[in-house]
Amino acid sequence: MANKDHSIEVRHMETTQRSNGKKLVLSETTFESVARILSDLVKSSRARLCIFADMNGYPISSAGEEGKIDLSALTAVAAGTFSATAEMARMTSDEQRFQYIYHEGRSENIYLCNVSDDYLLIVLFDKSVALGLIRILTQRAFEKTRDLLQQLKTESEQVTRFLDVEFRNMLSDELDRSLGT
Amino acid sequence: MHVDWLRQEIIFKIVYYGPGLGGKTTNLKHLHAHLDPAVRSELIVLKTSDERTLYFDFLQLELGRLKGKKPRFHIYTVPGQARYAYGRSIIIRDSDAVVFVADSQRARMDDNLSSMLDLEIKLNRQQRTLGEFPWVMQYNKRDLPNIENLSTLQRRLNFLNAPWYEAVATSGLGVFETLRGAIQLLISKI
Repeated sequence: MANKDHSIEVRHMETTQRSNGKKLVLSETTFESVARILSDLVKSSRARLCIFADMNGYPISSAGEEGKIDLSALTAVAAGTFSATAEMARMTSDEQRFQYIYHEGRSENIYLCNVSDDYLLIVLFDKSVALGLIRILTQRAFEKTRDLLQQLKTESEQVTRFLDVEFRNMLSDELDRSLGT
Repeated sequence: MHVDWLRQEIIFKIVYYGPGLGGKTTNLKHLHAHLDPAVRSELIVLKTSDERTLYFDFLQLELGRLKGKKPRFHIYTVPGQARYAYGRSIIIRDSDAVVFVADSQRARMDDNLSSMLDLEIKLNRQQRTLGEFPWVMQYNKRDLPNIENLSTLQRRLNFLNAPWYEAVATSGLGVFETLRGAIQLLISKI
């Protein structure tokens, strides 16, 4: 029933474009294009996992092996890392944000890439994969997603109605149950 | 707020704001310790070596599917210390509701007011204001000596008439009520 009701709306995904505070809609086509870019990146680079998220830390799409990783928590911390480096960039230069952040671990490495200041690409890969390869392939993925998002800025905005009255009432009841009053 | 039509999820961002050492992280620690593990994530605490919040703390609350839709809440604290002002401005960006954790001790009134002003300035930069934004006041540390009485706190800090809650975050008193109040207010204002 719910699926039928949302047969049109489910074809869209909404996120927030912070540069102007307005809502931005990712169409199904765009969403699938991003998913394909990530999938290609995982295959060509042999990375373990690639995630596309927004700078608020909301995960949007991923490809590869999630395992037990909490995507929301990982993207929240990754976005926080960019916040911290933004502060460093501000103190040391005119840069707003650093373009890349690289963390080298004992067995696994993390490569973070800033996409148009509003989004980020997160790539997890192990020691068997060369950083240079990851950098080159991520750069390609970065340019493809940036071009996609550039087009998006001209797409029309759409007001979504996710929170209907029934859902709000159910949410209120569920909160009473979970947060006990 | 982030609506994901494909996964049928809605994510809200709630930020605990307030002066340093006011009890923001303690609120999140209590939520983490006492919420059903099935509905909450691990608590991520990015702190300095002396236990002060450096970047932020993060906890996710995920309720089950309601009418096929899944609501999730990303709960952040900001670092209270004055020198981390820039980090606070990034975390507060696009937040959907704020819990202002005020320290009830008499000696902290100026710190509370400075932090409120700091919050208002950061909201103003996003064309928002405390006068219209969904936020609640938590008077924390009600178990300590040398605290202001409620009527004084209300007059000095809650001049915008936000919903308010008394709390002792170290024991959990008022912690769940505060979060629930903030979420209910947020939902009612959408």
